[in-house]
Amino acid sequence: MTIAAVVAAILATALADRRWLLVAQREHYLPGSAMRFALRWWRLGANRVLAAGAVLGVVLSPLTPAAGFVGALAVALGPFGFPLRPASPGPLVWTPRLRTLAAVTAVAQLVVIGAGVALGGGVPVAGLVALLSPLAVDAALAALRPLEDRRASVFVASARERLEGVAPDVVAITGSYGKTTTKTYAAHLIAGARRVVPSPRSFNNRAGLSRAVHEQLVPGTEVFIAEMGTYGPGEIAELVEWCRPRVAAITAIGPVHLERFGNEDAIVTAKAEIFAGAEVAVLNVDDPRLAALAGQLPVPTVVRCSAVARDADVAALADGDRLVLLRSGEVVADVALPDAVLGNVAVAAAIAFAVGVPSDAVAAALATLPAVPNRRAVTTLSTGALAVDDTFNSNPAGSRAALDTMARHATGQGKRVVVTPGMVELGPVQAGENAAWAACAAAAATHLVVVGATNRRALLEGAGSVEDALRARVIAVASHADAVAWVRANTGPGDVVLYENQLPDHYP
Amino acid sequence: MSSPAVIFGGPSPEHDISILTGLQAARTLAGAGRAPTCLYWSKTNEWHEVDAALEGADFADGVPRRARPLRFVAGAGGGFVGEGGALRKERPLPISAAVVCCHGAPGEDGTLQSALDLAGIAYTGPDAAGAALGMDKLAFGEVCRGAGLPVLAREVVGEGPPSFAGPYIVKPRFGGSSIGIVVAADAAAVTAAARQSVHLRRGAVVEPYRDDAADLEVAVRTYPSLVLSAISKPEKGRGVYSYKEKYVGGEGMLSAPRELNPSLPGKVAEVVRDAATAVASLARLRGVARVDFLLDGDEVWVNEVNTIPGSLSKHLWDVPFIEVLDGMLAEAQARPTTAWTTDGADGTALRSAGSIAGKLG
Repeated sequence: MTIAAVVAAILATALADRRWLLVAQREHYLPGSAMRFALRWWRLGANRVLAAGAVLGVVLSPLTPAAGFVGALAVALGPFGFPLRPASPGPLVWTPRLRTLAAVTAVAQLVVIGAGVALGGGVPVAGLVALLSPLAVDAALAALRPLEDRRASVFVASARERLEGVAPDVVAITGSYGKTTTKTYAAHLIAGARRVVPSPRSFNNRAGLSRAVHEQLVPGTEVFIAEMGTYGPGEIAELVEWCRPRVAAITAIGPVHLERFGNEDAIVTAKAEIFAGAEVAVLNVDDPRLAALAGQLPVPTVVRCSAVARDADVAALADGDRLVLLRSGEVVADVALPDAVLGNVAVAAAIAFAVGVPSDAVAAALATLPAVPNRRAVTTLSTGALAVDDTFNSNPAGSRAALDTMARHATGQGKRVVVTPGMVELGPVQAGENAAWAACAAAAATHLVVVGATNRRALLEGAGSVEDALRARVIAVASHADAVAWVRANTGPGDVVLYENQLPDHYP
Repeated sequence: MSSPAVIFGGPSPEHDISILTGLQAARTLAGAGRAPTCLYWSKTNEWHEVDAALEGADFADGVPRRARPLRFVAGAGGGFVGEGGALRKERPLPISAAVVCCHGAPGEDGTLQSALDLAGIAYTGPDAAGAALGMDKLAFGEVCRGAGLPVLAREVVGEGPPSFAGPYIVKPRFGGSSIGIVVAADAAAVTAAARQSVHLRRGAVVEPYRDDAADLEVAVRTYPSLVLSAISKPEKGRGVYSYKEKYVGGEGMLSAPRELNPSLPGKVAEVVRDAATAVASLARLRGVARVDFLLDGDEVWVNEVNTIPGSLSKHLWDVPFIEVLDGMLAEAQARPTTAWTTDGADGTALRSAGSIAGKLG
């Protein structure tokens, strides 16, 4: 009986480990992420009962091994809703890194269980190990950190060598949001005049950037645009140490990843690390914090960009249905207004100027600014409805801009549907920002489809604050797939659907 | 037991399209039990062995997962060699012949072909000289003109204006895709485009631009004997037939709308067939190639040759694709690309030369 209870707990541990290893992989192997997500899942609805059962089973197991079985069963089954076959954005991939992590986790767990058995407390100890699977994954992540750092530094060293060999003009872009879009625009504006390679998609950390250098930096590249993201102080400083930008830009500051930074001033400081050693600093000074920063930078050339001020060094202004680009107050382009955040356009143009693209070449390319995938990209659905795909966005300013895009595409009679799980990684302001945005969305839309449980309460609260007569019908669904099914069944030609953010399926 | 290889990718603007061509060939060979070795040539000039079952999207962010790094050794006993371990020295992969599916330089301009020659690997498609000629629009046009084939004026963009009237179309002199092609109203615009565009920096050619002209294409297969495909007329959008129209949003050329065996005025079809036959030998075509023509009214001109066309012009053949591939592989072995000779280098000159110092004095 005792042996069977220990074996049951070990099996439950294996099942639980698989879940939290997925989270570790999806969350960039950051220690702490398994526990953070475990708490989110176990706190939801019926999972609370299951969690209580698991805890009770472990606590009572010293009295009777039967209680141990109950605990093991609860851990094996729960949390409900967590995908058994993760699919979005993809399944668990058994990379060497994940295999190492799984092995270290399992060995540590078995050692603890073995010690428990030796000391005569096999059943409760095995039950506790099963229950604390996310903690074990986090501990293994922390323990493997130095090893991963060493491995990464070898890869980084060869990336640095390659970068020095190809010797392109390096541009670095960071910002709380708008990085990928600005990078795409800048690459487009430069492409006709110089051989340019942007880092792909959102490959913006140490691993992503060194991989981009290894796999994308074609010999003969003249300009390399590196997108740089940060989860905390010191990360960008480490990136610019080997991927040294001559031109560095900050697109915007917002409450993104606030849970890791604490406050927005810390975000500004962390982003400003990008200017170490740069010759040209490009900033969107429409943000007062960046305007203040522009005045303090010890960089030889500071380029102030704006979407509102004509007297900025580079300004991208909306004039009716025209986009007017000014360089030092002089009009260099006047093209049809694209559906773009003009601050990003201004920063991208400033970058193109800084790497020596002539004004007329920038002006010519500006007329054909590309749509960025998953960022307010407009497509037609199989139902005939128009979809605005903004599924990669998770920041308040972008979410509001997306509502405007939806409104622009709306027809008088048609439905205006917003499908969203809300924004994440906003730390202490997450609930407030989601509620505030949901109020705007509920006023702008005819239907608001709230996806998942992560931000459900805040979104419903925000929507509820809108006057009854103006408020969208609110529908809550469990998953993105359910939301898509709802859209299929309820929309048609003349309707417009805004998909605002999409969370990976390890989010509740 | 050696099996065929498929080579695709390469540091080219057409890297992505080449992957699609390569995967189609690999999948077809695998389906017919030929067990191909898939050799992926990365954008940064690295080589990897990959699985034939991969999809194009697996390459979208770079080298796909589980790719095995290889070194490409040019020289006697060379080839594609795995990294091996401390105890095991790897031997080159056994390859009977390689299906080259690269588009654009350096996989279609003779660079890769030369390296394969040096490594002693048989391959499909043009040899180094044929590839280099096909990639040089100026040289190819002059060869056709010299043989009396109908061609439009084509000149190097230099200091002075073109010797013929506009409007003009300016193209990179080297390059296989439509990237970098611009239409210019007058001579000043031609010079400006050539000066500004990164794609035209290595040399540009200028031709008269005919807005009303349509494209015609004929694919050729060269083994065991020359076969021409049906004439195909791609539907043209407004203005230049762009890279995007050709490729984005589909499986290479397969998805582009086209008309097969269109009705053509007068003797156009006959002229096209005769010219394609002549180009096959003039341009040393080998494997599958595609000859592109321009049609305006009842006039037709040879425009360009594509020595390794997208999807190997799969859509233009009325035989199964595996038959096309098998023919190419048989040709790769039956018609070698190297004919090196050392006749005359028998030591006589060396023995009678005296000392090198004496020659320098």
